Amino acid sequence: MAVKKKKHVSKKNKKDWRKHCDITDVEEFLEEQRLDERLGKFETKPDSELFVVDTGGDLKDEEKPLSAKQKKRAKLTEVPKCFEILLPSSKVPDPNKKRNHVNPVGSKPTALSKLTEKRRLEKGVYQKKIEDARKNRRLAVQKKRKAKQIRQTFDLDLWGKDMPKSKTIPSVLEEEFVSSEAKLHNVLPDQRLRAKPPLPKTVVTRAAVETPHPGVSYNPTFQEHQELLQNVVQHEQKMMKREQHLNRVTTKMFKRVTAQEKENQWKEEMSEGLPKPHNPADDPASDTDNEYKAINPPVKNKKKDHKARRKQRERIEERERLKREKINKKKITDIYRLRKLETSITKREKKQQELRAKRAIKHAEEAATAAPALNAHKAPLKEPDFVEPTQLSGDLLHINPKTNLLRDRFESLQRRGALAASKIMMKKKRKLKSYFKPGHKVTDQEIEKYINKTQAQKIGVSH
Amino acid sequence: MVSKKKKKYSSGEGAQFMTRKAALKKLQLTLKDFRRICILKGIYPREPRNRKRAQKGAGGIKTLYHTKDIKFLLHEPIIWKLRELKVYQQKIRRARAMKEYGKMRKYFRDYPDINIDHIVKERYPTFVDALRDLDDCLTLCFLFSTFPSLKRVPRDQSMLCRRLTVEFMHAVITAKALRKVFVSVKGFYYQVELEGQTITWIVPHHFSFQPQNKNDVDFKIMSTFVEFYTMMLGFVNFKLFHTLNLVYPPKLPASFSAEKDKDLIDEHTYVAERIAAMNLSLARVEGANEAEELPEIDVFPTEDEDPKKLEEAKLEAEKVKKLKTLFKGLKFFINREVPREPMVFIIRCFGGECSWDKDHFVGATFDESDETIAYQIVDRPSMEKQYLSRYYVQPQWVFDSVNARTLLPINKYLMGAVLPPHLSPFVDKIKDQVYIPPEVAQMNNPDFKPLDDDQSGTDIEEASDEDKEEESEEDSEGDADEALAKQYRDEVAEDSPSGEDNDDEDDNDDMDPQKKKLAKEKKKSMAVTTGVTYKEHPYQKEIEDKQAFRLREKLVRKKHKKLYKSMKAGQEERKKEIWLLRKKRRLHDEKVKEEKKAEKKKQRMQAFEAATA
Repeated sequence: MAVKKKKHVSKKNKKDWRKHCDITDVEEFLEEQRLDERLGKFETKPDSELFVVDTGGDLKDEEKPLSAKQKKRAKLTEVPKCFEILLPSSKVPDPNKKRNHVNPVGSKPTALSKLTEKRRLEKGVYQKKIEDARKNRRLAVQKKRKAKQIRQTFDLDLWGKDMPKSKTIPSVLEEEFVSSEAKLHNVLPDQRLRAKPPLPKTVVTRAAVETPHPGVSYNPTFQEHQELLQNVVQHEQKMMKREQHLNRVTTKMFKRVTAQEKENQWKEEMSEGLPKPHNPADDPASDTDNEYKAINPPVKNKKKDHKARRKQRERIEERERLKREKINKKKITDIYRLRKLETSITKREKKQQELRAKRAIKHAEEAATAAPALNAHKAPLKEPDFVEPTQLSGDLLHINPKTNLLRDRFESLQRRGALAASKIMMKKKRKLKSYFKPGHKVTDQEIEKYINKTQAQKIGVSH
Repeated sequence: MVSKKKKKYSSGEGAQFMTRKAALKKLQLTLKDFRRICILKGIYPREPRNRKRAQKGAGGIKTLYHTKDIKFLLHEPIIWKLRELKVYQQKIRRARAMKEYGKMRKYFRDYPDINIDHIVKERYPTFVDALRDLDDCLTLCFLFSTFPSLKRVPRDQSMLCRRLTVEFMHAVITAKALRKVFVSVKGFYYQVELEGQTITWIVPHHFSFQPQNKNDVDFKIMSTFVEFYTMMLGFVNFKLFHTLNLVYPPKLPASFSAEKDKDLIDEHTYVAERIAAMNLSLARVEGANEAEELPEIDVFPTEDEDPKKLEEAKLEAEKVKKLKTLFKGLKFFINREVPREPMVFIIRCFGGECSWDKDHFVGATFDESDETIAYQIVDRPSMEKQYLSRYYVQPQWVFDSVNARTLLPINKYLMGAVLPPHLSPFVDKIKDQVYIPPEVAQMNNPDFKPLDDDQSGTDIEEASDEDKEEESEEDSEGDADEALAKQYRDEVAEDSPSGEDNDDEDDNDDMDPQKKKLAKEKKKSMAVTTGVTYKEHPYQKEIEDKQAFRLREKLVRKKHKKLYKSMKAGQEERKKEIWLLRKKRRLHDEKVKEEKKAEKKKQRMQAFEAATA
């Protein structure tokens, strides 16, 4: 069934009317009209505008083609293609006939302009202009300086009634005539003071400045100093152990050879497969007659006879039987050992449980103090500040602090999780090879020569 | 219909986290700018619970951020500013490369500054929040104030740090907020209490600038931290000064302002000016009261509040009040070998006045020859010219006095004396369940009276004292017993009215004087007898308290029972240990005493024999 074409369409609504009305002819007409307006009416145009009298004839074709240079020259006068779009293309006359004309720079002053200029000079217009400009410049500099000192002026009661100025809305938009909705719409991040997501736990809970161990006093008690010393010793032992472990796992894993050995090995490896120099001492063939002898004897497929097979089978069976017997025996004895087994199992389980609990506690402790892993690099362990007793002078004048406070702060930030621990990559300085350009080289001889020459000239002048 | 398959990592931990690279892409920032804005806004990398999932299946350890945090950054107006700055940076870079240095200088001059006051407000919604986070800020600012201009650190930063730290110290001086000082090998630890918040910070020993190793610390990052912290400290100072009725910004010597930094001033002059600035008192707002005494603690009795704790708090407040006027009216002269900065700060914090040799440093207020000087602080074994009117003490006396909250006896701190150890005031108060030998206790608390002083000649008196004590104890126990017995009797009497009834029945048997008796009884009932004051029995109360405590112990949740038990056991153990050590000490002391006695006797006998012979 073919779909019938609708005869009647509804043109009830504006939309439907538009949809089903054919207005191409109207549009065409209007288009034509517009075109006429732009380009002028075709009928009214004189023939001279429409047609060109061919006066050149065929001679033009025989003209010499322009050289590249000439082409370039010709293009100089042309309006560049990119600016063509800026030229007025419309034929519609300028509705404002008296458009303000600006004399091009460098044009001669007219008599009238001379007069007005003179008048204005007498009036002091130019003087005022200069003064204004100077004032404005000063104001601008001041404004800039003030803006520069933003970081150094604190004139807000931030936690009182004053609110920080909005950062994104330009000062023009802050006027009253712009509605708040419009501001919001145009400058999106207006809502500045928004709730911040909570900080990481480690940043919040860990103290920025830890209370010092009493042993770090510049004049500590013996006991406290010893306590601190113990801490240091433990720390050092831990580090040493770690170092040993690393040593064992890396360097010690490989066999070490002396240089001589290495060379020998190399020689041996390199000379593998090469014909060796003849040494009659270790020639095996020398003591026997020149008979051929294989290194491996040839393989023979020798079959076992029936007896041997039976013996083998019996042996296997006997072994199996003994094994089974043993297992059966064990089963019986195990029944009597049941209680013992049970206790041993429970004991083991209990022990395992204890160990598990211990491990969990240890893990929790480590997690409580460990630096969060934020990066592939690890934050360095905290080293106790310790000054050797010999260097503890006990007076304020001669304290020699070993710790670098800035590094301490930096690492503290890392340990709190405010910074990801990182290795600072130093930029490698490019090694530049310096050399003289062949013609620019100045040798000592040349310098001497030059000095001699100038001296000779001086002498000549003085004489 | 088959529903669309969920993409992996589009929810859960995979969606919660974002790698740094992804964040950079999302924010359209360079790594440098991203680092800066993260530090300014306080956005920190996170450690995921399950790294594999958080990294969307990728291996290795990547720096991860919460997606929420990055979205929060996305709304920051500063980001637009950073993007704008990029243009300037490019211009500067180009000018440098083209060697157009005039242009470069102009760009540097016009380089816009970022105002981040709104971030301070955003990160610290209340003033107390800001104070709580001041530890790190102060430590870094004090550290940077010692720095010369460095590469990668803005030129004016150390100058700004200098200014702000001096301002803060002034605020502390006027608020009299300093509580504790500790001199460690690392630097000076100060603890102040502002608005109920304790703030601790470290000030390095003032020596010349320590050269820093380049690959130890990322200066750029630290400088960004300091950038934020200076902003924060500035606003905190503003608020503090206004609450203290001081004019902000205070007028400090010229070397603190940024304009003057062009004249070359050497390090020593800086330090001298800085200290001189601290020795001035600041201008107050007109019409403000000089002395603002804090009102005493109001007591709101609540049921759960422990009266003991309240008492303790009161005592503490009293001590603090005393501490605030520790050096009031005292004049100190600081010798030139003593580090002046901590001295001036501490002395002025507690109301003292101080001065120094005016020939050596600027800012001296009075001369050495002033007779009203009470203490001269000296750090050398001897001096040629000494005044009789003053004490010559070592600097540690000041620190220890502050920590002890009283003026300590100076005999241990006199010039040339071997100093007693400088103890840390930050030792945990919770750790009171340890044995403290009487010597240490005396050092901590000068009012401490050892129970058994081992001074010879007072043996007998002491013994008698002990006896008395024992007696009194027995008495008190006896009293308690008696009281208990009496109460018991009373109770019994109350419970058994039957005996009296019997008496009444007996009375009723006699009919003749019945009426008389009735009248008598009526009279009796109407008579007024002397009342007995209600007496609280301490022993009974103790028992009740104990019972109540046990009941409360029963209420401890099952979850915490084990912990509670272990805590109790630990307490018992420590108590036992203390007891044991005390006993040991006592025995040892007694032994020593006896030996001494024996020796004395021997001597006496010898003397006697010598006399008789």
